Amino acid sequence: MKAKHLVRIRRISQAFFLCLFLFLLVESRLPEDLYLKYSLVFSSDPDFRLDWPVTFFFQLDPLVWLSGLLSAHRMIQGFWWALGLLVLTLFFGRIFCGFICPLGTVHHLAGMVKPSLKGDRMIMANQKTSGHRIKYFILIAVFVGAVMGLNLAGLMDPISLLFRSLALAVLPAVGTGIKEIFDQMAASDVKVMNFLSYAAEAVVSPVFGHGYPAYKTGWFIGLIFLVILFLNRIRPRFWCRILCPLGALLGIFSRFSILRLEKDDAKCADCKSCSMSCQGAASPMPGRTWENAECLLCFNCFDSCPEGALSFRLRWSPGLNNWPEMGPDMGRRALLAGLGAGISLPLLTKLDGHIHHVSDPRLIRPPGALAEKNFLQLCQRCGVCMKVCPTNAINPTLAEAGMAGFWTPHLVMGQGYCEHTCTLCGSVCPTGAIREISVSEKIQRPIRIGSVYLDRGRCLPWSGNGACIVCQEHCPTSPKAIYLRKQVVVGPDQSLKPVQLPYMDLKRCTGCGICENKCPIRGRPAIRIIAAGESRSVKNRILLTDQ
Amino acid sequence: MNPITRRESIKKIARISTSLAVSLGASPLLGWKSIHASAGDKGFLIEGVGANEGYNVKELTRKVFEAAGGVGRFVSRGDVVVIKPNISWARRPDLGATTNPDVLEATVELCLDAGAKKVRIADNTIHDARRCFAVTGVGMVAKRTGADLVFPRSSLMKAMKLHGHRLDAWPVFVPFVEADKVINLPVAKVHGLSTLTLGIKNWIGAVGGRRNALHQDIHQSIVDLAGFFNPTLTLIDAIRIMIKNGPSGGSPSDVAVKNTLILSDDQVAADAKAAGLFGYDPRQIGFIRLGKKWGLGTYDSRELVQQRVIL
Repeated sequence: MKAKHLVRIRRISQAFFLCLFLFLLVESRLPEDLYLKYSLVFSSDPDFRLDWPVTFFFQLDPLVWLSGLLSAHRMIQGFWWALGLLVLTLFFGRIFCGFICPLGTVHHLAGMVKPSLKGDRMIMANQKTSGHRIKYFILIAVFVGAVMGLNLAGLMDPISLLFRSLALAVLPAVGTGIKEIFDQMAASDVKVMNFLSYAAEAVVSPVFGHGYPAYKTGWFIGLIFLVILFLNRIRPRFWCRILCPLGALLGIFSRFSILRLEKDDAKCADCKSCSMSCQGAASPMPGRTWENAECLLCFNCFDSCPEGALSFRLRWSPGLNNWPEMGPDMGRRALLAGLGAGISLPLLTKLDGHIHHVSDPRLIRPPGALAEKNFLQLCQRCGVCMKVCPTNAINPTLAEAGMAGFWTPHLVMGQGYCEHTCTLCGSVCPTGAIREISVSEKIQRPIRIGSVYLDRGRCLPWSGNGACIVCQEHCPTSPKAIYLRKQVVVGPDQSLKPVQLPYMDLKRCTGCGICENKCPIRGRPAIRIIAAGESRSVKNRILLTDQ
Repeated sequence: MNPITRRESIKKIARISTSLAVSLGASPLLGWKSIHASAGDKGFLIEGVGANEGYNVKELTRKVFEAAGGVGRFVSRGDVVVIKPNISWARRPDLGATTNPDVLEATVELCLDAGAKKVRIADNTIHDARRCFAVTGVGMVAKRTGADLVFPRSSLMKAMKLHGHRLDAWPVFVPFVEADKVINLPVAKVHGLSTLTLGIKNWIGAVGGRRNALHQDIHQSIVDLAGFFNPTLTLIDAIRIMIKNGPSGGSPSDVAVKNTLILSDDQVAADAKAAGLFGYDPRQIGFIRLGKKWGLGTYDSRELVQQRVIL
């Protein structure tokens, strides 16, 4: 095949997979036109599921599959895709990096638009350096850590990173900006402006999120994303060459690839066009050894060579003596450092006592989340559960889950609450760190995510400051976990006031948090949820009856 | 019971006799039943009961509107009608936490048949709106009838002067103020603070802002809202009423089947009638008392033309 065609196919493939990724990202939410054939005799509550396989890219990602396999000894759903990709890589090298990876495409674009480096400086930047070994260090640290029981893959996995960055930082940031403009237009007295605002919002909200979606530490996620985009100005595809653990994994698997760059040293005029356009810094120049494990298969060198000295060929029987030099250049230091980090990180992160003693009261995991130890073996911190949560309750942690659980999901009741009959988060978790549950299981068992407690000093009726039953009104269990008793309290003016006071029944409370969310006392509500009582943790349970 | 003074009784007698005269005089001319002719003067209150097993809820809804003279009496050709069901909770219809979708569907169809240009269904839900629309069956009603289901976006909440006794300015869900006709379609439930939630309480779902603060003076707040929204008709869905664990319920055992619909052009009268289903005297319910006090309507049966429809 001609080089021109290969490059064109690569571009079409990159565009297709980036668009597919963005589409699935946007579709990771409840649609507005959700219909249900109702009848007056429902046998059970409906379990809403998304129409699209929004976790496809995670299933395609061997790093997600293997890290989960090593840490939790579990095959994730749809791992066949990842297995297929590894087989493909065995034959054709890092074709995922060049043709499929949406983060790679984003980096490719960021490096291509008005490149900051020109001429010789670009050629210099496209030389392989020992820095390329860092990605092997990260990969080994991730895998060794996974064996030790802590899955950190998601922090650096390109699919998780891109999903997290776009879903929790880029989309909400843009959405909030747009929403502010719309709200100003809606408040205007000009009728046309109002109408435009409503119409535009109806189009924009399903993409960017309803209202003002917010994610704790979203700024930090966004900042990191901007930094790694900026790195492309120093070296094109800095991330893919130097940091990406998935790239490292695929690099190792590409060792026996039959797709090979053939160099004709005699034809080379030493124009360095190949090096100028090389995405992976894989030494395409004749006279040097091509770095199989670094090559992203962009086919730019093949396309740019004016002399026809370079070509990609399928060679079924590589000379055995060629193999060692085609293997990944890992370096002993990267290997040892990776081992060291992989062993020490899981040990160090247990020092805060989150797993073996008691967890942070704010660490309220989504319903169906596995016990903390198993959860940390599987969670990719990708943010799919956070994106789909219809009330915006699920947020990335900062310190709530300790260092080991950085950016894992937890519920912030100030922002949302867990809807009683919603089971969406578990249905989209790519690794099963949040188990898929049904509505009947959730409300009949029930699955508790925490428990309620009351701050009587701040509660309006308890402190004699006014009538209020909002927590009881919203409590979704039947019978209600928050119930009222008529009592007389002394008001601030020393008068006796007959009021209804909220009390709570821990046996019924599921910790859904709608009471905290709807309490009229904002900021720090008078009624709050803490993780104590969660079903998933044997240590954290309160009642003896919860076995 | 307040003693009726002589002057009041004379006034009342005069009023009743005029309305009687009008109705007697007008009915042969216009071919209406007496209930319609007097509507200009007196409010009407229609109670529809599905007495036979296997009766059709939509049919009962149509019969109730028919008894009031048809929707065409209230909805003119080209009107934009906004219907306010209570779909606050993402609860399936048989749990009685939300307006019966069959009643809603029949009402939408009747409005469209009467020539309404557009029928909108609007409620600022408590649970996530998408889930409420889907689970309560209202989404399907909108899809089948072609009514607009208005998503409660924050840009559709606009601060307005309510001129209430408790509430002055409050964010209002815009479709209700832009409507030509408003129909209130609540479901009858018990409530921890206001004792019952019926038509007047349903208006909490037509505003935005910090609604949870309204509970500090719930009765006056909702009466202010009812005065502001002033619906053309109130149709209370009491097919299933929630008798405990209100207003959210969650179990079929929280629900009692009453197979009743209550239609009135008088918000207070409808609520008073529905209160009876729970065994309450209207005067026991704060917002019904206040509604009468501030002139929103009456629960005095002598000032209402009543009719019962049995299917």
